[in-house]
Amino acid sequence: MSKSIVSAAVAGTLLVLAAPAALAAPDWGKVAKRDINVFHAGVAPIEWMTKKSDHSGSAGMRKGESCAGCHEEKGTLNFNFKRLADKEMEPKGAPKTMMFPVSVQAAYDAANLYIRLTFKAPSGGADKGDKDNEVKATVLFADAKVPQADQYGCWQTCHTDARTMPGADEKKTKYTAAGAYELIQWASKGNKVSDGSVTTERKMTGGGTGAKAEASKSGDTYTVTFTRKNPGEGKVVPFGLAIHADNSHGRFHHVSLGYKLGIGADGDVKATKQ
Amino acid sequence: MANNGKTGFLAMLQRPSAKYSMLVLLVVGFFSGIFFWGGFNTGMEATNTLEFCIGCHEMRDNVYVEYKKTIHYSNRTGVRAVCSDCHVPKDWTHKMIRKIQASKEVWGKLTGVIDTPEKFEAHRLQLAENEWARMKASDSRECRNCHSFDAMDVEKQKLRGSKMHKIGIAEKKTCIDCHKGIAHRKPKGMKEDEDE
Repeated sequence: MSKSIVSAAVAGTLLVLAAPAALAAPDWGKVAKRDINVFHAGVAPIEWMTKKSDHSGSAGMRKGESCAGCHEEKGTLNFNFKRLADKEMEPKGAPKTMMFPVSVQAAYDAANLYIRLTFKAPSGGADKGDKDNEVKATVLFADAKVPQADQYGCWQTCHTDARTMPGADEKKTKYTAAGAYELIQWASKGNKVSDGSVTTERKMTGGGTGAKAEASKSGDTYTVTFTRKNPGEGKVVPFGLAIHADNSHGRFHHVSLGYKLGIGADGDVKATKQ
Repeated sequence: MANNGKTGFLAMLQRPSAKYSMLVLLVVGFFSGIFFWGGFNTGMEATNTLEFCIGCHEMRDNVYVEYKKTIHYSNRTGVRAVCSDCHVPKDWTHKMIRKIQASKEVWGKLTGVIDTPEKFEAHRLQLAENEWARMKASDSRECRNCHSFDAMDVEKQKLRGSKMHKIGIAEKKTCIDCHKGIAHRKPKGMKEDEDE
């Protein structure tokens, strides 16, 4: 069966599944959009990021600078993607699309926080490690005990010795040295949502967010709407995004830098009260 | 000065001339000086050219290949910094000292210390550390032949460069503190700076 037929079938299934499961979702037409670029980071875990001989910007990080503070500029990311293309930082080969935007919207009510991601998942990846899922979309929320979570976003979970990194133990998942992340993920096969966590290891089940997800595909554009428990009005939660496009797995995702989600408060993304 | 009737070349050099006038000796000496001094400096400048540097396959096959991919070789404005612009001081005294130090490389060439890519790779860290230490000790003097904080408008730079340069200026950092591995590949096993 050709890939396009599979995609169409998956999209059709999603639409059918999504319709009856419709929640009391916000009127997204009235919720502001914030485009967040996700990019393929190659082999650049937190150990790389914080080591001066690898990343001279680590001097700025130690002074409290965030990743986005230096690298997000004029609506794009100012990385030198040539370093991925010539395999210096991605030995397996870089995806054809190094970076793409994800439109992020957020809203909340007394019970729930709603996050909607809209994006075109690019093909042309160098890894097809996930045969089942053409696309996965993940949001990680850091708790207050994760060190520098408001600066580094998800990077505290990304380590040089975790699975799919060169030479790493394939059973070792992402982890954080301190604190915890909530992890919610939508996977295209079966329109499945995972509610998990990242502490000393990553667990894809047993999370406390009560996550649900709706997804649809229109043309080549995916729209994924997560519903999770509201962490609390007035809170500012560090978060990051990851999109696994084109059947990629592990580190071959496109990820965002760290951003702040303001729930009725200031943030890079402001959740609108419903 | 008397030479006690000795003969030979040394004695001749010590004997006052009875044949040539002082003027002739001065004029000939003056122009000979220009000739030899000019020749010496021309010869030394010839060793400062890119062609001379890549005359040895050790340089041509290793560092030169890497340098050709960098902004110091090819860029928007068409200004090129060749090997000696970064690795040889411009002023005469420091240049002479550096050239004398570099003459050790001739011995390295004769004994084949880095005559294969594998040997070069094995020595890469040490070679780089030597050069970084030299640059650090001179406050990145060769970088500053072209670049300076005074002439730098950090507001026109990309955000990441702008923010880091502001930190660098405030903390009186020198170029090589951050800009390692910009014209050649960084070696594996780099040590972290002690002041960090």
